[in-house]
Amino acid sequence: MSSSDSSSSSSVDDPNPNPKPLDNQFESLNLEQESESTIIQNDDGEGQQDQESSLNGSLNVNRNNHEQDDRIDGGHVTSVLWRRTNSEVEVDGPSSPSSSGYAGERGSSGASEDDEIHEVANHGVIDGVFDSQAAWLPGKRHVDEDDASISWRKRKKHFFILSHSGKPIYSRYGDEHKLAGFSATLQAIISFVENGYMDELGDRIKLVRAGKHQVVFLVKGPIYLVCISCTEEPYESLRGQLELIYGQMILILTKAVNRCFEKNPKFDMTPLLGGTDVVFSSLIHSFSWNPATFLHAYTCLPLAYGTRQAAGAILQDVADSGVLFAILMCKHKVVSLVGAQKASLHPDDMLLLSNFIMSSESFRTSESFSPICLPRYNPVAFLYAYVHYLDVDTYLMLLTTSSDAFYHLKDCRIRIETVLLKSNVLSEVQRSMLDGGMHVEDLPGDLLPRSGSASHLGQHQQPTDSPGRFREPFVGIGGPAGLWHFIYRSIYLDQYVSSEFSAPINSPRQQKRLYRAYQKLYASMHDKGNGPHKTQFRRDENYVLLCWVTPDFELYTAFDPLADKGLAIKTCNRVCQWVKDVENEIFLLGASPFSW
Amino acid sequence: MPSRRRTLLKVIILGDSGVGKTSLMNQYVNKKFSNQYKATIGADFLTKEVQFEDRLFTLQIWDTAGQERFQSLGVAFYRGADCCVLVYDVNSMKSFDNLNNWREEFLIQASPSDPENFPFVVLGNKVDVDGGNSRVVSEKKARAWCASKGNIPYFETSAKEGINVEEAFQCIAKNALKSGEEEEIYLPDTIDVGTSSQPRSTGCEC
Ligand SMILES: Nc1nc2c(ncn2[C@@H]2O[C@H](COP(=O)(O)OP(=O)(O)OP(=O)(O)O)[C@@H](O)[C@H]2O)c(=O)[nH]1
Ligand SMILES: [Mg+2]
Repeated sequence: MSSSDSSSSSSVDDPNPNPKPLDNQFESLNLEQESESTIIQNDDGEGQQDQESSLNGSLNVNRNNHEQDDRIDGGHVTSVLWRRTNSEVEVDGPSSPSSSGYAGERGSSGASEDDEIHEVANHGVIDGVFDSQAAWLPGKRHVDEDDASISWRKRKKHFFILSHSGKPIYSRYGDEHKLAGFSATLQAIISFVENGYMDELGDRIKLVRAGKHQVVFLVKGPIYLVCISCTEEPYESLRGQLELIYGQMILILTKAVNRCFEKNPKFDMTPLLGGTDVVFSSLIHSFSWNPATFLHAYTCLPLAYGTRQAAGAILQDVADSGVLFAILMCKHKVVSLVGAQKASLHPDDMLLLSNFIMSSESFRTSESFSPICLPRYNPVAFLYAYVHYLDVDTYLMLLTTSSDAFYHLKDCRIRIETVLLKSNVLSEVQRSMLDGGMHVEDLPGDLLPRSGSASHLGQHQQPTDSPGRFREPFVGIGGPAGLWHFIYRSIYLDQYVSSEFSAPINSPRQQKRLYRAYQKLYASMHDKGNGPHKTQFRRDENYVLLCWVTPDFELYTAFDPLADKGLAIKTCNRVCQWVKDVENEIFLLGASPFSW
Repeated sequence: MPSRRRTLLKVIILGDSGVGKTSLMNQYVNKKFSNQYKATIGADFLTKEVQFEDRLFTLQIWDTAGQERFQSLGVAFYRGADCCVLVYDVNSMKSFDNLNNWREEFLIQASPSDPENFPFVVLGNKVDVDGGNSRVVSEKKARAWCASKGNIPYFETSAKEGINVEEAFQCIAKNALKSGEEEEIYLPDTIDVGTSSQPRSTGCEC
C-alpha cells in the first residue's frame, strides 16, 4: 500500500488535462474526515426528494432489515433505521457549466427491485453468482396475482402502463386484466395530476408521496406510466426508468400507436404488445444490474485495439453498402458499431435494442428480420433489423430503412461472419468474456510505467473465481486502499467502463445495493436544482463512496467503509490513469461522436 | 454464393399467434419440441435441404410472427413465395376462422402471378391436446373449407408428437417446386443484385 499522504500523488499525471488532480479539490475536506453526519448538500429545489434519503437514505439502512420490511403494504411495520451518525457526506461546489448541459437533458435512472432477490434466493442460486444477470429468470412472474392479493401489495416496486382511458397495458406483476380496477384508480389520480404542471420537456409529471411510498407518474400523450416504489430511489431515477419503459414500448410499436387512440380513445393496446412481457421484465430487471440504465452510456467488451479495429472495418464496409447501423455485441457489451454517414445511435437506443434482442428467445434460434423503432433516432418510424447470433452470446444487428433488405443483409452477415472468423475476432470475444474486464486488484501502483505493453488488463490477473482468492468474506480486500469497485464514464465517448465485481461485493444483492448507491450519487451530482457537483465523498457503514465529475469524465468509486480518505482520493487518480492507459482496449475509439 | 434459381424454394408459414408455427418448423428441421412459448418476433428464416425426385432442393422457410402488431406491417418477405402454409389450432375456432384473413392478406401482399392456383397447404395442428377431447374444429369442417378454396391439401398435425409433420412438409416442398418452376420466368434472380456492392477500403472508422 502506498503512502497515505494524499497530497503526495502529484507525480501521477492527470488523465485529463483540464481538471486538477482530485486530491487538490479535496484539500479543504481532508480536515473533516472524522466529522460525523456532515451534510453539505444544498436543498433540493423541487422539494420532491426526501433530503435524507437522497443522501443518507438507503445507504444507511440497517442491514438486517434491509429488503425485508420495506414493502408496499402500508400496514407492514418497518424497522429501517436511519442512522445518521457515523455517516459522512461532503459535496464539493458546482462544477463548470459544460457538464451541466449534459446532465440537463436526461433524467437519471437505474435502480432495482428487491423482491427479485427473494425469488432468486428461492431458486437457490444466490450464492456464488458473480454475474447477477445469471440469476434472473425470464418471463412474467406472479401472473396469478391481482390487486387484492397480499403478495401483490407487498411487492416493493410496481410498474404500470395504462391508457388515458384507464385501460391496463402492462403491469410488472399480476395479470393486466385482473388489475383493471386498480388501473381505473390510477387513471383517476392521473387526471387530477394532469392539471398540474408540465416539466421542461412538456411532459406532465408528478410525484406523490404516501408514507414511504413514492408514486411517480409520467404522461406521454395517451399513454400513462406509473411506478409505485418504496425502494427509496430518487425521483429522478424512477422517472428515468419510466422513460426507458416508454422507450421500450416505442421500440416495439413506434409512436404511431397514438393514432389508434386518436381514432378510438378506448382502444385496447394489450394485444399489440402480445408476447413482449419478457422484454419489459428484463428491462426492469436491468435497472438493478446494468449501470447503462442510469448513466445513459454504453460499455464495450475489452478487446485488443487491433481486434476491435478489424471488426469495425468490416462493419464499416457493410455500412457503406446501405446499412444504416451495423452493431456487433456480446451480451450487453459492444464489440464494435458503425453508423452510415451522419447517423448516430443514442446509448439509450442501444440499451433498449439489446434488451429487446437478448430477452426475445426467438432471435436465438435462427436468422430474424423484424421491424423495430429506435425512439431517440426516430420515434415515429420503423427500421428493419436483421439479427443473427454468431455464437451463444455474440450477435450481429444490421439496421436498415428498407423492408426488402433481408437478402442483402443476410449476404452482408455472411461476409462479416467470414471476416470475423478469419481474423479471430470471435475467438477473441469469447476469450474476453472469460477473462473479464478491469479488476480492482490489478490497479497498477503509482510508479509503474504503463505505456506500450500489449495487455494491460490481464497481466496481473488470476481468474476471478479462482478458489481461495476470496476466502475471508468480510475482510475488506479488493484493490489497493480498500478500493472495491469503480465506474468510469467518458462523457465525450458516451461510454463507461465498470470494474468487475469481486469480494466483498459478491452477491447480486450487494451488487444491486452498490448500483443503487451509485445511482443516488449520479442523481445528486446531476441534480438541476443544486447544479452539478465536482466531487462528493460519503462514508457510511457500507462503503466509502467517492465521486468525481469533470467536463470530460465521471468517476464513481466504492471503498471499504474504513478506507483512509487521503488514500482513497489518491487511488481515484490512479484509477483514472489506469483507464487512460488502457483506453484503447476498453473503449471504442474513433467512432463518430454520438449526437442527439 | 450459391444461385437461388431452381434449387431454392421459398415457403411462408402463416397463422394466428400460438397455433404452433414455430413448433412445427422446429419439429421438421430439428426434430425438437418445447412446451415453452417463445413468441416469434418479425420473421425467422430457416433452411432445410430436401431431396425430391433425385434432385436436391433448399427449402427456405419463413416462420412469421402471428402476433397482432406484425399483421399490419406490409410484409415484404411474402413476395416471391413458392408456397404458403396456413396453420390453425384445432382447439381454437378463432384461429380457424382467421385462415381466410391470412390467405387473403397473403394474396394481396405477395401478389402472385396466378392467385387462383397459388399453392397453399393447410395444417390443423395440436391434434394431440387432451387426446382430441378439447378439439373444436372438426376435420370435416376444415376439409370443406380447403375444398372451397381450390382443393388446398390438408394435414392434421401435432408438432409435439411429430404426427404428420414430415408428410406435410413433403407435400409443401412438392407444391413449392411446382410453383417455383413456373415462377422462374417472372423472377430471374433479382434477389442477388443488391449484394454486389464493392467492398471498400477499410480500417478507418473516423
Ligand atoms: N400440445 C401441443 N402443443 C403445441 C403443439 N404445437 C405447439 N404447441 C405449443 O403451443 C405454444 C405456441 O407454439 P408456437 O410454435 O410458439 O406458436 P407460433 O404459432 O409460432 O406463435 P407466434 O410465434 O406467436 O406466431 C407453445 O407453448 C408450444 O409448445 C402441438 O402440436 N401440441
Ligand atoms: Mg412462432
